[in-house]
Amino acid sequence: MDPHLKKVYVPMTETAFYILLCLRRENHGYGILQQTEAMTGGEIRLSPGTLYGSLSKMEKDGLIVFVREEDKRRIYRLTALGEELLTLEKKRIARLYRNMQEAD
Amino acid sequence: MKNTKTEFRYFTIADWKEEEAYLRRRHQEGWRFEKVTFPGIYRFIRCAPEDVIYQLDYNPEGLADRGAYLQLFSDCGWEHLQDYVGYSYFRKPASAMQGTEEEIFCDDASRRAMLLRVLRRRLPPLILLFFLIILPNFLLWDREPAVRLLFGLLGAVYLVLILRFLLCWRRLRGD
Repeated sequence: MDPHLKKVYVPMTETAFYILLCLRRENHGYGILQQTEAMTGGEIRLSPGTLYGSLSKMEKDGLIVFVREEDKRRIYRLTALGEELLTLEKKRIARLYRNMQEAD
Repeated sequence: MKNTKTEFRYFTIADWKEEEAYLRRRHQEGWRFEKVTFPGIYRFIRCAPEDVIYQLDYNPEGLADRGAYLQLFSDCGWEHLQDYVGYSYFRKPASAMQGTEEEIFCDDASRRAMLLRVLRRRLPPLILLFFLIILPNFLLWDREPAVRLLFGLLGAVYLVLILRFLLCWRRLRGD
């Protein structure tokens, strides 16, 4: 993996994390927003400018791939590279959580 | 009583936050933003006073892919008003937001990314214009004093603008 990408995405923003997590299944921007809202009990509400910018950047970086367009909504899915970065981030968060538990 | 009004306002290209606040204030006073035309003529229509949040995005890539870009904003309840010098204007009533004041960006990373898009597109032409036209016209001695004064003033305005941009840039890098 490109070390630069790893530096950019690990650790990643909460927005990026939920986008990648949702895109393990095909979805469009607004779908990601709704799913994230449901998963976080309404605590995290993504915004369209942030979503649009993140999705196009992730597509350029090869983390996600454009699948098709439905009613002007662009549907994306995670790539192997995206999966790999998400796994790295999950491991980092798991370590964080473990250490937090031990410290308590 | 007149039902429309026009105002002239000049916002430099790094002042979009001030512009958003201005449009919101007018709507709270009962003047709904209708459109803006060059070089900064704002047209309003009388309406019932309401708290409506106005937001500007700068996304050339989004405008090239207009359909999908605007659909995402409309799905999220943001009404697209117009595009003007690269900026897209959106609004959403505060009453449609569940208690919190929404923005079109929800984290600092994406706010920084927008400022970078503005800087990348706008700073190079400004710098070129400054060094190729304004600075030479100001420095050449054979120009009329009035011409030199004019270019001197223009140059001062440009310097302030470029300095503001560079400060924004530095703040971003520092983050």
